Parts: sequence; C-alpha cells; structure tokens
Amino acid sequence: MFSKKMVLIVGVIVLITVNIIVLSATTKSYPAFGLGHLALSFVAPFQEFVTRSIRFIRGIWENYFFLVSVSQENLHLKKSLNHAIQKNNQMQETELANIRLRSLLNFQKAITNRVIAAEVIGKDPSAWFKTIIIDKGKADGLKRWLPVVVAQGITGQVIEISNHYSKVILIIDRNSAVDALVQRSRARGIIKGTLADQCRFEFVLQKHDVRIGDIVVASGFDGVYPKGLRIGWVSDVIKRDAEIFQEITVTPYVDFEKLEEVLIVLNPQRHEFASQQ
Amino acid sequence: MIYCFYIGACLCLVILQTTILPYLPLLDRIYDLLIPFIIYLGLFRSIREGLFLVLFLGFIMDNLSGSPFGLYLTSYCWLFVGIKWTTTFVQVRSRLLQSLVVAAGVLLQNLIFIGAFTILGSNPKLPAEAGSTVVIQTLWAVGTGPVFLVFFRYIQRRLDKLMNEVVAGRTNLSLSSRR
Repeated sequence: MFSKKMVLIVGVIVLITVNIIVLSATTKSYPAFGLGHLALSFVAPFQEFVTRSIRFIRGIWENYFFLVSVSQENLHLKKSLNHAIQKNNQMQETELANIRLRSLLNFQKAITNRVIAAEVIGKDPSAWFKTIIIDKGKADGLKRWLPVVVAQGITGQVIEISNHYSKVILIIDRNSAVDALVQRSRARGIIKGTLADQCRFEFVLQKHDVRIGDIVVASGFDGVYPKGLRIGWVSDVIKRDAEIFQEITVTPYVDFEKLEEVLIVLNPQRHEFASQQ
Repeated sequence: MIYCFYIGACLCLVILQTTILPYLPLLDRIYDLLIPFIIYLGLFRSIREGLFLVLFLGFIMDNLSGSPFGLYLTSYCWLFVGIKWTTTFVQVRSRLLQSLVVAAGVLLQNLIFIGAFTILGSNPKLPAEAGSTVVIQTLWAVGTGPVFLVFFRYIQRRLDKLMNEVVAGRTNLSLSSRR
C-alpha cells in the first residue's frame, strides 16, 4: 500500500516530533534522573585526577621556578584585597541596612553563614552552557539548589549532586536567574545569564535610577542566594522610550575563567516573607 | 575489549575538553571533540557497535553538561544516523570530504543547540555570541577534524593487529599443548 520511501519519511517525521516533545519537556526544568549522578561519579574522579595533576605541575612552576617571592607576595596581596573588598561591601550593606532598619524594625539582616570550600575539577564540555563540577557532594552535606559563592561575589547554585561530586550552574548560564537589587537605588530586577561572560539585568522599570558603575547585589527574594551578596557592576544601560523595562548589562565580579575554588553556603538564610505578612 | 577501548578513548576526550582545553587560550571555544568520534563510528564501524556508544556518550555528556537532558543524545543520534545514511551513496575517503563532514557535524550540533535555546527554551533571544561561536567551532572542525579521524583509525588498526596476534598466539599455544 505504502512505498518503502514513504514509510521512511513518515518514520523520520515521527521520530523528529517525538524528539522535540521529549526535549521540550526536559528543557523546562533540570530533571533529577536517578542515573544522572552515576555519570558524574564515573567521569568526575578522572577529571579530579587530571585537574589536580595540572594544578600540581603549575604550582611547582609558579612557586619554585618562576619568581618565587613575587608569586607568593602576589597571592598574599590578592587574598588581602579580596578580604578588603568583601569587608567593604559588607560595611556598605550594613550601613544601608541600618538606615532601612530605623523604619522597618522587624527586618532581619543576613547573619553569618556556614560554608564549605570546594575545588573546581571540571567545566562544561559545551560552549553553549556554563556549568562547573566541584569535588564536594552529598557526603559533605551538599543539597540541590544551595548557593555557591566566592569572595568576589555570587557564582551559581548546585543543580545536581552525587556522593562526592556536584554540578553547579553559573550565573552566566542562560538558564540561570538571580533576584537582584541595585545597591544604591534599590531598583529590583532579575539577573539572567548570557552566552558571554556578562549578565542581563532584566525587568528593571524605566522609572528606576540605574547608572553605569552601580553595584548589583542579591535581593534574597529568590530564596536561594543570601541577601546582600555582590553579583556585579552595571556596565551598560539603554533606555528606550517605547519599552517598559531598561536594557541593563551587568559585568560579574567573579572571573569565571579563572575559577578554581568556591564556597557553598550550607545554611543560606531564607527570608520568611509569607510569615511576616 | 573493543568497547573498553572505545570507552577509554571517549573518556580521554571528555576529560580533555572539560579540564584542559577550557583553560587554554583560543581553545576555550573549540567544538565538541566527540563529534569526530561519532563520525568515525558512523563511517567505519557497524550500526550495532556504534549505536551503543552513541547512546552511552549522549547520556554521559547530558549529565556532565548544563544542557537540558537529551540534547547531546539527540545531536549524537541524528549525527550518527545522518552519517550512516550519507555513506550509502558517498564514500568519505579524502581528507577534504572528511573535513567537510566533521564541519557539517559541528554545524548540525550547533543548530540543534540553538534550536533548543530559541524554540524550546524560556528565552527565545539568540545569544549575541552565537554567530562567532558557530564560526569558530566550524573553522576548528575543518582544520582538525580529519586529524582525529586518522588518529582513531590508526589506533583501531593497531588494536586489531594486537588482538589478532594475541588470538593467534593462544591458538598456537593450544595446538602445541595438544601435540
């Protein structure tokens, strides 16, 4: 009744349709397939071995053969600078929080968080996605959706875990979103990743005052990232008359190309907005 | 034995592109190195051998990457099917043709990824760097694709030769012991 060619064409069309339906279902969210962590457990130990070997060799080169004292001094200064930046940011946040607390007495400020350090052992194999693999997992107390930070600011969040390894989606990934505020004017929006090492600050109304150089921090409203943690600085603002929202580009403080160690916040403070109302 | 070799080779490629290449200048936006491997399987190996590896690699990559589950599986499966179909009427022997096939494979994968972003994703906007990424990856594929294919074939031949020697050695040993 039907020719072989016809059956083949119909078969291919059906396969493509099924494929698109399955992909559209998985694109909506990150499914937690039981076998997913097996792949991570299978490949990550090799990644860890290679990364550690490279770092060991690089460490020997940098510290023993190449300007020993300068390298050490540089590391020390970088640490001090990071510490100072973080402290300065904390003080700025504290100052602004104090002003607001005069009128909002029931507002609680983010206190200390329990964190765990992890090493980056692998990056995403694709140029289209921005994830990393770290050497800490369930056994270290990690859970899905925990925030990942460094001294310079927010890095991302845990999306998949195995016993000893986890996958972290970076804030520059297209599927990432962070509820954020402009530190100076408190203009609120959503930080979304782009393919480049920059983010878009979306849904900021035209009436809000946002200027180039403004610091963008986490608002804490997304229930993932602790309030006040730095994200980046506003590097471009475009206001179009016909649009409701501004087009804002934010350059993250974190250098994702040189990310080697990260901190995972184990007890991020969630604001109980519902209970306050 | 042959599957162990394939899995070992794939593991090396995956580790190379997740731990070493991202830190090297110019290579941070190189194409998916498993594409030449899938093409090699499509060109020179049987469907039974190739399909198992295509599914295995797709599963591993989907779990290692931040992509929606099934995207790598999709791209590898269609690439494998496409190569098998192409070889029914074209003999891919010359280096130039091999370059073009690898480049086409890279383009197909990028097309599937971009399609997933724009049609199925929450943000239909095409990334600003999408064009340059596709061009860079395709150029890399044209330049280095055949090198990988030649390398895989060379290793495969050496392994086959080694296996034949081992089998022949065992046969001789069992014959002499019977005598």
